[in-house]
Amino acid sequence: MGQLVVSKQAARSGRDLNDEVTQYLTFSVADERLAMSITAVKEIIETPQVTRVPMTPDYIRGVINLRGNVVPVVDLGARLGRGALTLTKRSCIVLVEVQVGEEDRHVLGMLVDEVKNILDIPPQDVKPPPEFGSEIRTDFIEAMGRVEDIFVIILSVDHVLSVQELASLRHFTDDHVADVEH
Amino acid sequence: MNLDSARQAFIEEVAELLQTMEDALLTLEQNPADPESLNDVFRAMHTIKGTGGVFGYTPVVEFTHTVETLMDQVRSGQMMLTKPLIETLFECRDHTLALIDFIAADATGDAPLSPDLQRAGDALLARLGHVPPPTPTAVPVLNFDAPTYLPEANDLWMISLEFKADAFRHGMDPLSFLRYLSSLGDLVHVVTLLPLAFIDSEHFDPESCYLSFGIAFRSDADKRTIAGVFEFADEDCEIRILEPDSAHNRYVDLLEATPHDQINCMGDLLVSIGAITPFELVRALKIQEDSSQVLDGTEPAAKRRLGDILVEQGSIKSGVVEQAVKTQETARSKRQEDNRIIRVDAQRLGHLIDLVGELVTSSAAIRVMVKRAGIDNMNEVVDGVDYLVSEIRDNALQLRMVAIGESLSRFRRVVRDASQELGKLIDLVITGGETELDKTVVEKIIDPLTHLIRNAVDHGIEEPMVRQKADKLTTGTIHLNAYHDSGHIVIEIEDDGAGLDAARIRAKAEAKGLVKPDEVLTREEILRLIFAPGLSTKEQATSLSGRGVGMDVVRRNIEALRGTVELDSTLGVGTKITIILPLTLAIIEGFLVGAGRDQYVIPLSQVAECVEMTATATLKQHGEHYINLRGEVLPFIRLTDLFHNADWHRATNQRESLVVVRFGHHKMGLVVDTLLGELQTVIKPLGKLFERLRGVAGATILGTGDIALILDVAELAAIGQVPRHVAAKH
Repeated sequence: MGQLVVSKQAARSGRDLNDEVTQYLTFSVADERLAMSITAVKEIIETPQVTRVPMTPDYIRGVINLRGNVVPVVDLGARLGRGALTLTKRSCIVLVEVQVGEEDRHVLGMLVDEVKNILDIPPQDVKPPPEFGSEIRTDFIEAMGRVEDIFVIILSVDHVLSVQELASLRHFTDDHVADVEH
Repeated sequence: MNLDSARQAFIEEVAELLQTMEDALLTLEQNPADPESLNDVFRAMHTIKGTGGVFGYTPVVEFTHTVETLMDQVRSGQMMLTKPLIETLFECRDHTLALIDFIAADATGDAPLSPDLQRAGDALLARLGHVPPPTPTAVPVLNFDAPTYLPEANDLWMISLEFKADAFRHGMDPLSFLRYLSSLGDLVHVVTLLPLAFIDSEHFDPESCYLSFGIAFRSDADKRTIAGVFEFADEDCEIRILEPDSAHNRYVDLLEATPHDQINCMGDLLVSIGAITPFELVRALKIQEDSSQVLDGTEPAAKRRLGDILVEQGSIKSGVVEQAVKTQETARSKRQEDNRIIRVDAQRLGHLIDLVGELVTSSAAIRVMVKRAGIDNMNEVVDGVDYLVSEIRDNALQLRMVAIGESLSRFRRVVRDASQELGKLIDLVITGGETELDKTVVEKIIDPLTHLIRNAVDHGIEEPMVRQKADKLTTGTIHLNAYHDSGHIVIEIEDDGAGLDAARIRAKAEAKGLVKPDEVLTREEILRLIFAPGLSTKEQATSLSGRGVGMDVVRRNIEALRGTVELDSTLGVGTKITIILPLTLAIIEGFLVGAGRDQYVIPLSQVAECVEMTATATLKQHGEHYINLRGEVLPFIRLTDLFHNADWHRATNQRESLVVVRFGHHKMGLVVDTLLGELQTVIKPLGKLFERLRGVAGATILGTGDIALILDVAELAAIGQVPRHVAAKH
C-alpha cells in the first residue's frame, strides 16, 4: 500500500462541510476492526526500522526516526492485550498527536496490522460503549460506531495513548530490573 | 511609541541595575571605602530614579531619591558607611525591587501603593535618617504671566521642547518631564509657548497637544543625562538641548585629550564626549542623508557636513565642531579596529546548534552512502567535509559557552543573607569562575546549587560558639570550586562544618522505612540516603531548609542534565558535594558499540579503554560478574543480558569486547559484541514517554538513518548493583 497521508486540515475541512458527521479512521489489530476519530491523526506511514528500547514493557515497540525526530511507537496489539503484533507487509504506523499536561503536545506512533479506510459515521449511529462484555479495557473504548449493521469499537486515543500512564508503569523501575539476573 | 514595551524595558533595566547594586554592596561590606562600588550603588539608584520619573512612578522616585541623596553624602565623605547602613542599603535594594514588582504587576501603572509596601518604605527611609517632607514633592509652578524671553546667562542649559500634536494621544505628559527634570537641577525659568496662529475654539482639539516649552536650566549633569530625561519622548517631541558656555569649553578640552585610537567618525566622537546625544546624532544623520539625496540630482558634489547640520539643529556650538574636526583628522590615519562583542539572541544560537546537529547527521549519512556505493575517490572529499563539520560543530557549541563565575557570584548574597539570619559567620570562597560550560546547562544548575549552598549554611556550618568549642575558626568557610575534567564540568561545594552523621541518617531512614534494620550498607551508601525522598536530619525545619524535600529534587535535577552528584562527609570536619555535569546538552563525542540486535552509544569521555573479553578471566559472585583486569577486580555488565536482546544468529563462540567506562570515581565494564568506533553524537531527547526509563540518556540518529540509544553509564551501574542487594538479603 502506498503512503496514505491524511493531514489535519483535510480532516477539519471535511467536518466543516458536514458538521453532523465525524470521520473515523478504521484499521485492524489482531483481526479486529477498530476505529478512531481522525482529528488526532497526523499521518500514516509504512513501518520503518523500529529500534527497541530496553527495559520497557512489551507495548512499547520502540522508537523510529521520523524525518530526524525520534518518535516512540506503541504496539497497539500489546496495548489492547492481544499480544505483540507480528510485522507484515501491511503493517502501518499511525502517527497521532496526544496532549501531555496543559500545553505540551507529543507525537506518538501506533503500530497496527493494517489501515482500512476513512468512514463517515453520523452521530445517530455512534452509541455509548457497553459496560461489560468487551475484551478491551472499558476506558479504552470511547463509543461504538455502527457501520452497515456491524458495530466497530471507536478507541479513545487519550486513554489508549495516555503518556502519563504509558510512562508510569512499574516495568520502568527497578522492580523489573531486579529479576533480570535470575 | 509603545509604552508597554518601554515599561518592560524599564523593568528589565532596573533588575540589572539592582543586581549591580547588590554586587557593589557585597564588595562594600568587605571594603567600605571602595570608590567604584560606591559609585555603582549611587548610579543604580540615580538611574532608577531617573527612568522611574519619566514614567511618573512617584513612589519609586521618592524612595530612590532619598537613597541616592544619602549615597551622594557617603561618596563625598560627609557620611560614614557603617555596617548597619550597608544592611539598610541591602534592604533598600530589596524594597526597590518590591516596588518595581508592584508596578510590573499593575497593568495601569497608577494604582496606589499597597499599605504594606508604603509602611516598609517609610520605615526604611526613617532608618536612613530621612524625614518625609510634609508637603508633596515640589512641582515647579508654571507662570504664564512671566515675560516670554529666557534670561541670558552663560552657565545655563537652554532646552527647547516642541511637543507634537499627538503627544497626549501617545500617553505623554509634558509636565512629568518637567517634574523629573527638576530633580536634576534648578529650573531657572520655564516659558510655555503656544503656536503663533493659535487655533480658535472651534477647531481646538482638546486631545491634541499645542504646547512648547523653553527652559533655562542650571545643573551639573552632563548632556546625556539631561537628554535621558526626554528619552521616552523622542518620537513625540522636537528636543533641542544647548549646553552652557562652560560645558562648551570643557568639550573642546575633552576633544583635545581624546586618545586617537578611539576615534571613529565625527558623530561618534561628539557622542562619546557627551556633546550631543545619540538621538541628536541619528536625527542629524538622517537630515544629511535626505539632503544629499535631494542634491544628488542637481549638484552631486555638495554633501552637507554633519557638523554644520548639528550646529544648525541647535544641538551644538560651532566651536566644538571645529575642534572635533581637528581631532578627527589627526586620528584618521591611526584608526584601528576594536575587538567587539556582539550580543546574540539565545534562541538564534539554539537554532544554529540544531542545524549543526542535522548537518552532523547528514554528513554521517553521506559517508555511509559513499561506502555503500564503493566510490573510492570520494573518500578524500568526505573526510574533508567531516573535518569541517566537526570544526563547525565545536565552534557553534563554543558560542554558547559562558564562564560559570557570573552565576556563582550570586551565591555571595545567598550565603550572606542566610548566615546573618542564622547568626553564623561564613566566608564564601569561589574559585574556577572562568570555567566555561553551555549556557543552557548553567541556567538549569542554578536552582540545585542554591539549594545545596543553603543546606551548607543551614546544616553544615555551626554557630560560632559551637565552632569555638570544637577548636575550629569561628568563621566557617564554604568553598565553591569549578573545573573541567574529561569532557565534564565538576562543581564542588565544600564546607568545613559539622559533617553528616551516618548513624543518624541511618536511624532516620529506618524510622521512615527507607531501609530495613538488617540491611548491610556501606558508609557511602548510607550517606547517599540523604538524596532519598522525605529525609531530613535536622530535627527542626528552618525557613531555609530542612523540610525534607530538596535533596532528592536536587539529585533529580542534576540527573536530568545527565549529570551525577557525589557526596563525601566526615563528622565534625565537613561535607563535600561534587556535581559532575556534561559540558553541553546538544552534541557529544560518542563511542558506538553493537550488542545483540541493536547499537548503542557510550559517551566517549567516559570510555577508559577497550579490551578483548576472555571467558576464563571472569568470575561470578553473589549474582554479580567480575573480571580480573590486570590484577584489578572490575565488575561488569553484559548488555545483551541486561537488555534481553541477544542476537540468536550470532555464533556463541564469537569474541566479545569489554568497554571499560568510568563515572565519578568508579569504573565498570560493559560487555558488548562489536566495537564500531567513534561517532559525533547529536543527542535527541526521548521525550516524556521515557521519562522514567533509567540507563538510557537519549537517542541519536546514525548515518544509516537507524537510531542508536545513548547509554547512561552511571545509571546502568546502579541497575547492575540491584541484584547484590537482593543477594545480600538471602
